[in-house]
Amino acid sequence: MNPARRAWLARLAGLGALAPRAAAASTVAAGDDIPRRGRVLRFPRDHGAHPGCRTEWWYVTGWLGTEAQPTGGFQVTFFRTRTGLAQGHPSRFAARQLLFAHAAVTTLGPDGGRHAHDQRIVRWSGDPAAPLAAAALDTARVNIGDWRLVLEGAGDGRRWTSRIAARDFTLELDMTRTQPLLLQGDAGFSRKGPDEAQASHYVTDPQLAVRARIALEGRSGPEAVGRAWMDHEWSESLLHRQAVGWDWIGINLFDGGALTAFELRRADGSALWAGGSHRAAGAATRAFEPGAVRFEAVRRWRSPATGVSWPVQWRVSTPAGRHEVRALADAQELESRASTGALYWEGLAELVDEAGRRVGLGYLELTGYGGALRL
Amino acid sequence: MTPALLRLLLWREWRHHPWRHATALLAVALGVALAWSVHLINQSALAEFSAAVRAANGDADLSLRGAAVPEALFEQVAQDAAVTLASPVLEIDTLLKRPDGRRVAVRVIGLDLLRAAPLAPELLPRLRQGEDRLAGFDPDAAFANAAALAALGSAEPGPLELQSGPATVRLRHAGSVAAGGTPVLVMDLAGAQGHFGALGRLTRIDLRLAPGTDAAAWARRLALPEGVRVATPGADEQRVSNLSRAYRVNLTVLALVALFVGAFLVFSVVSLGVAQRAPALALLGVLGLSAAQRRGLVLAECAALGAAGGLLGLLAGTAMAAAALRWMAGDLGGGYFPGIAPRLQVGPLGVAVFGALGLVSALVGGWWPARQAEQLAPAQALKGLGTGLGAAPPAWPGLALVAAGALAALAPPVAGLPLAAYAAVALLLVGGVALIPATVHALLARWPRPQGALALLALQRARHQRATATAAVAGVVASLALSVAITVMVASFRDGVARWLDTVLPADLYARTAASSASADQAWLPPGYAASAAAVPGVLRVEPARVQPVVLDENRPAVVLVARPLGDPAAVLPLLAAPLPAPEGAVGVFVSEALVSLYGAAPGRPFVMPVAGTPRTLWVRGVWRDYARQFGTVVMDAADFRRLGGDDRVNDLALWLAPGAAAADVQQALREALRGTADPGLLEFASSAELRQLSLRIFDRSFAVTHYLQAVAITIGLVGIAASLSAQVLARRKEFGLLAHLGLVRGDIVRLVATEALAWVSAGVLMGLALGVAISLVLVFVVNPQSFHWTMDLVLPWARLAALALAVLAAGVATAALTARNAARAPAVRAVREDW
Repeated sequence: MNPARRAWLARLAGLGALAPRAAAASTVAAGDDIPRRGRVLRFPRDHGAHPGCRTEWWYVTGWLGTEAQPTGGFQVTFFRTRTGLAQGHPSRFAARQLLFAHAAVTTLGPDGGRHAHDQRIVRWSGDPAAPLAAAALDTARVNIGDWRLVLEGAGDGRRWTSRIAARDFTLELDMTRTQPLLLQGDAGFSRKGPDEAQASHYVTDPQLAVRARIALEGRSGPEAVGRAWMDHEWSESLLHRQAVGWDWIGINLFDGGALTAFELRRADGSALWAGGSHRAAGAATRAFEPGAVRFEAVRRWRSPATGVSWPVQWRVSTPAGRHEVRALADAQELESRASTGALYWEGLAELVDEAGRRVGLGYLELTGYGGALRL
Repeated sequence: MTPALLRLLLWREWRHHPWRHATALLAVALGVALAWSVHLINQSALAEFSAAVRAANGDADLSLRGAAVPEALFEQVAQDAAVTLASPVLEIDTLLKRPDGRRVAVRVIGLDLLRAAPLAPELLPRLRQGEDRLAGFDPDAAFANAAALAALGSAEPGPLELQSGPATVRLRHAGSVAAGGTPVLVMDLAGAQGHFGALGRLTRIDLRLAPGTDAAAWARRLALPEGVRVATPGADEQRVSNLSRAYRVNLTVLALVALFVGAFLVFSVVSLGVAQRAPALALLGVLGLSAAQRRGLVLAECAALGAAGGLLGLLAGTAMAAAALRWMAGDLGGGYFPGIAPRLQVGPLGVAVFGALGLVSALVGGWWPARQAEQLAPAQALKGLGTGLGAAPPAWPGLALVAAGALAALAPPVAGLPLAAYAAVALLLVGGVALIPATVHALLARWPRPQGALALLALQRARHQRATATAAVAGVVASLALSVAITVMVASFRDGVARWLDTVLPADLYARTAASSASADQAWLPPGYAASAAAVPGVLRVEPARVQPVVLDENRPAVVLVARPLGDPAAVLPLLAAPLPAPEGAVGVFVSEALVSLYGAAPGRPFVMPVAGTPRTLWVRGVWRDYARQFGTVVMDAADFRRLGGDDRVNDLALWLAPGAAAADVQQALREALRGTADPGLLEFASSAELRQLSLRIFDRSFAVTHYLQAVAITIGLVGIAASLSAQVLARRKEFGLLAHLGLVRGDIVRLVATEALAWVSAGVLMGLALGVAISLVLVFVVNPQSFHWTMDLVLPWARLAALALAVLAAGVATAALTARNAARAPAVRAVREDW
């Protein structure tokens, strides 16, 4: 998953001016929180927050139902940004960090399905024990009020749980690990742009066996099972100045493999940088070179709400093969410009091979289509 | 009677006497205009102020408030299942330094923008060009509203300098906020806590509760810490409304007085009209117009007059209000709505009510003349007889009204307003007017029999036609009574304030840090400063005072706690009675009168109030007059205050100077003594003479509108004399004709009428004086304490009252003479021949 994405969301939200603050932030930051090549990630510590760096998120997506007939999907993201403000301030309210969360559920069905989303944003002093909203430093445990995402179990953790009580829906997730962690890029150091500085630490926890309970519009659904995907990424400097947005996929393949691919686009739509990885079940991770990944839009959907035209169907070429990514529902736009400031498309999608067979399900993310963005 | 006939009759009458009716119409219009404009201005100011309060408070279901709401409480309620949104707020009243060095009161609102956004959109920052998007979270950035920018005199001011205790805080001006009203700076909550010494503390938690939650029941379940109160969203607006309500009602009543006097004028004019048209009405009666229809004709005439006057009054009142809001503050000199520029707000209900007031006052004024028209005996009237005004009414209704008025004056306030007392004033006025015939008779009966024939004629007529006197002098009695009452009340008040100033300003020079007690907690001098000030050459003695606002009741403005050395309380406080000694171990305090009437404090009794955040049982040693603070002041000895946990900060200093010491040098030295520990500009100096002058100037400005009302009342009274004497002179044309035949020349007749008028107006002036003094007693001893919670001694400014009475007398007689001269111009022959 592309770190630039969240930074962009942060920008949209009016939450971060990366370049001017990067230097100041890095001098104050706890040294080891800033991404650097060669750093050995240690867990569960590195599942926890890295408040010394600018941007961080824990991102969970998943599909529910059967491979042949998925019934829906979900997305939960907890985002942390360091403001660079009030560093030595004695108040408990000092806004050293901002935490925000996005959650969305999609249901598929003969009636056309439903898409609902909600968001929260709060300040955080950086105190891991703050009662209202905090992120733990020793393992993944982040909450904004009663919205939470927690890694439970001994050692480096066995289970992710999340509970989101949103405006229009309630989401309860229990996601059990079935595979080892997947370290993206170079042992978890993932380049995001032409310069070495544009990089993040990027950890993926794919193929999670999920049990989910979704109550939508007051009606509690039955417990559903499916596969989930967790990304944890933290970075100091994210977007190259030419980047206006990105396209990203994270797919749990039915054969037990995990496919990640992303590209950062210039204003003219050309790719500025690309990357990703493929890990076959039980095999080692194969990271993709920037030139080896290509995205090609096939079909667009114009949102009636915002008028933005989203490419919801893609041909994606990677060293793992040529595939088509198709949104399972067009209307999976997240418009929360009024609250957290974000406008993006994040939706349940299928991966289809050249023979036309569905080989995996996962999430497609599109940003930078609601107008050119300058970071 | 057909409408066409009505129109014809009215139209003819009005066309023949346009000026007379125009005067009556104008009087009604003036009354309506005054009352309507006062109402409009108050309404607009209040609405504007409420809107500003709402904008600053946001749209919360409930607030938890207190001087020091603990942060832990916020964390507790924010996690409560019934709470969907909790927004912590810290409000700091402090001073903002203007470019010219002067300071203006400003409210700093520390917010968590993310939490406040849904509740108070008008407090959300609009970033200045080039500002970082995170500026709203920057502890050193602030966002100013329009009033604050206006105070700074710039839309793009430099660093904002604010008072924090003795120190100055510099904040970056990072943009603006939309909230209207008084100067407001919005900033990050953590920044406000850090800069203004409020770490760990909030003043408010705004809450939105889950739908269906019973807010009151939920709040009861909370175990609130000491000093935290539950406030409903209307509380602030209610407080603002309460703050100014008595003042607003007072002004409205004064304006209604003008309308009341206007009704007298309608009475006079219509009476005149009826008297003049008696033959015409009689003819109509003979031709078939029934008595009820004759009454209806007169009332219709009044209604037309009232409706037109009401309409004109509404227009004029709206224009007056618009002008007042444009050129003056929205508080008519009362100082209750500082810093706001209200827009005119006209509501349909107000239009209906105040328009109807004009109609009603005209109908009331026309009721008696209408009865006259009804009771007219056509045959008699056609012969020119029986147009007299009938026998004198009995005295008992008047006596009963006056007695009822006296009783009403003893009644307690209704809903915090002296409504019974206002009723008492009205009863006294109406009763007084009803007693006019009896009083005129009583007064003139004792007059010795004059020698000259003319004088005898005049006196006898004045005595026997005493019922007529009512019509002639009712306006004089009413208007003079009101003028006298207002004069006495204002004089008593002003005298009280002047004497009070002597007691409360014993020192030569005063230094203070904050213009209002609200910002006193943010603008203070370092604790040791009093000692340094005492060491300044030229200073004989220094007396420091600590001033703190304390909220005792959420729905009322804060009470002020003053801690100062109290050596001999009777010498330094204007006490109502000798101070009681405090019992052993009790902390004695002196409370102002407002605490007695609003909070039930009483001398010799304990009184509980928070001191330094802890509720304490204090013992009331005495009650003092405080004309400066309407909502209560508690004075405590400085040593007691410190013993109860109060700080030793200083807000005010009273300084006694050595003889010959130059005040300017001393001020300079005092400022110098502050250098290093605080901004020397923090100190504002005023000599006791300046303070005295300023206080009295403010006082006079507040009462300026009453002079205007007096002038209006007197004018209407005089026009009333003219109208009713004209009516009588017309009615007596035959009598004058007869007298002319008997050898009286025109001058004699004028003298005759003038002498009669002199007798009546003299009686009226005496009555007006007596009635005015009676009403002033109600105003001074009932209306004022009930409205403003302060008492005063009655002062009768005899010289001014005598001048007023003589002026009215002279004007009345002159008016009468003028009217008689005009009436007597008609040749005697024609007057006699009118017997057709």
